[in-house]
Amino acid sequence: MDKLGQEWVSSVVDGEASEQDLAHLSQDKDAQEKWQNYHLIGDTIRGELPPALSLDLTQSIADAIEKEPSIVAPGHANKPVSSDELSDVVEGNPASVVGLDIAPTAKPSNVVPLFKQLGQYAIAASVALVAVIGVQNYNVPADIESSPLPVLNTRPLIGSASPVSLQTGQPKATSQNASQGYSEAQLNEQRRRINTYIQDHMLQQKLNTAALHQHKSEKAQEEPQK
Amino acid sequence: MRLLLLAFLALSFSSFAEQQNEEESKTAAFENLSAKAWLRNMSHALQQQQFKLSLIKLDADQIKPMVYLHGRVQEQEVAFLEYLNGPPKNAVRVNNTITFIEHDKPPYSVSGGRIEGLWPAVFAANIERLEQGYQFVLGGRSRIAGRPGQVIRILPNDPHRFGYQIWLDMEHFLPLRFDMISSERQLLEQILAVELIVLQETPSLLLEAYKQKWPLVMNHTERQQGQDWQFQWMPGGFEVVVRDLRRLMGSDSSVEYIALSDGLASISVYVARAGETPLPNELVATNGLSIATERVGNVEVVAVGKVPPATLSRLAQSLTLE
Repeated sequence: MDKLGQEWVSSVVDGEASEQDLAHLSQDKDAQEKWQNYHLIGDTIRGELPPALSLDLTQSIADAIEKEPSIVAPGHANKPVSSDELSDVVEGNPASVVGLDIAPTAKPSNVVPLFKQLGQYAIAASVALVAVIGVQNYNVPADIESSPLPVLNTRPLIGSASPVSLQTGQPKATSQNASQGYSEAQLNEQRRRINTYIQDHMLQQKLNTAALHQHKSEKAQEEPQK
Repeated sequence: MRLLLLAFLALSFSSFAEQQNEEESKTAAFENLSAKAWLRNMSHALQQQQFKLSLIKLDADQIKPMVYLHGRVQEQEVAFLEYLNGPPKNAVRVNNTITFIEHDKPPYSVSGGRIEGLWPAVFAANIERLEQGYQFVLGGRSRIAGRPGQVIRILPNDPHRFGYQIWLDMEHFLPLRFDMISSERQLLEQILAVELIVLQETPSLLLEAYKQKWPLVMNHTERQQGQDWQFQWMPGGFEVVVRDLRRLMGSDSSVEYIALSDGLASISVYVARAGETPLPNELVATNGLSIATERVGNVEVVAVGKVPPATLSRLAQSLTLE
């Protein structure tokens, strides 16, 4: 099977399948086997294999559906069921068994619950995927994972004023500032002074490197260890 | 057939484990290096290697892309830093002279061992300087800029300063990522390499920079001696680097200025006549830069720096005139 074909099967496993894919799956024996294998792999990784491995899952699901009274299946409403047919189903007449090679159009009433089951398994598969990714993340020290995003979050402010930044320009007047009864001119004066201090601090960083450097290079540089 | 599949799964798991073992033995040479040895190697590499480093700096809500070139011309270090966005802004360092070339003012030179605005100067100098205030801890490994990186944590000994993390290239010991982290483990500032190219030959740009005549270093002798202000309290590892009495840039008021540093964090303390409007007691910007103000009579003590605001407040309060 080609790569593309595998992809849609795995998307069915992950619960991301379209209606069309599901219909396709119900008819494609090859894909069904693959689908089953994917789930088996998933179960193995999670260590959820039952003591007795019942590998033919689709068949047992189909059997279960078969035993289920068809009357509960949606879609039955639009197709009247004769009492004969109903009794056939209850008695387990092979004709009404949803073998996966039977076209869904032949027995839409029984196919629908099968897909419901599929849906549940698909959800389980996607949960497992999340769980696996989660475990991988826990193995890595949490701080390595820290993305640059938090920097973009605004820090809650301490004190009563707004954030100042040398380059982003005017800090916004906060409501606390206003409530302290400062006039606009006073606020501007305040901002200007804060900016002056910050700018001077930044400038000093440039100028003081010399002083810092002299201080630091007093001790001779040791050769690196290999 | 299904049993076969299971067997195959089990096999593939075990072979995966073997692969991991191989990789581990390959890097075993690095296992013996202590965090401090890694940092020492970094310091050496930053001085000796010739390389081009493309990086971004995340500072508050800004992302600044830069290119840093470093090489050696006739046994002297030559470095070039260019800000790639916005108005042209470059810095050139030839040995211990740094020239800033900015669009709105004539080029000016200062003396110093490192271009400010990138890694802290101490990274290319004596790492032992940091041991009074910080501990070095070996972290895990992760991939940065397409290269395997070793994490070194620089943890503060007390809550009076921020922590740092640095990722070193496992081949050349050059820094690939540098984070400043608050005590709440919030990322305050980050320098992140995008591409590192280690060069065999000195780039022509640096050769030209070496030949170029740069403005003379600004004279610092006009710095007047200030009054003898003393800190009653100072976090361990911090030292007074500079103190003087001068006019505040862009203002006509004169201030007493004291610069403190523990190697990574720098604090400026100003003593000035109080303004009409009292300044807020504490102020924090998103990149970790804080300001604290303490008013004593008609004098205000303002402390600025990238340390927790409580440290600044305490410093400002502890300042006394001897």
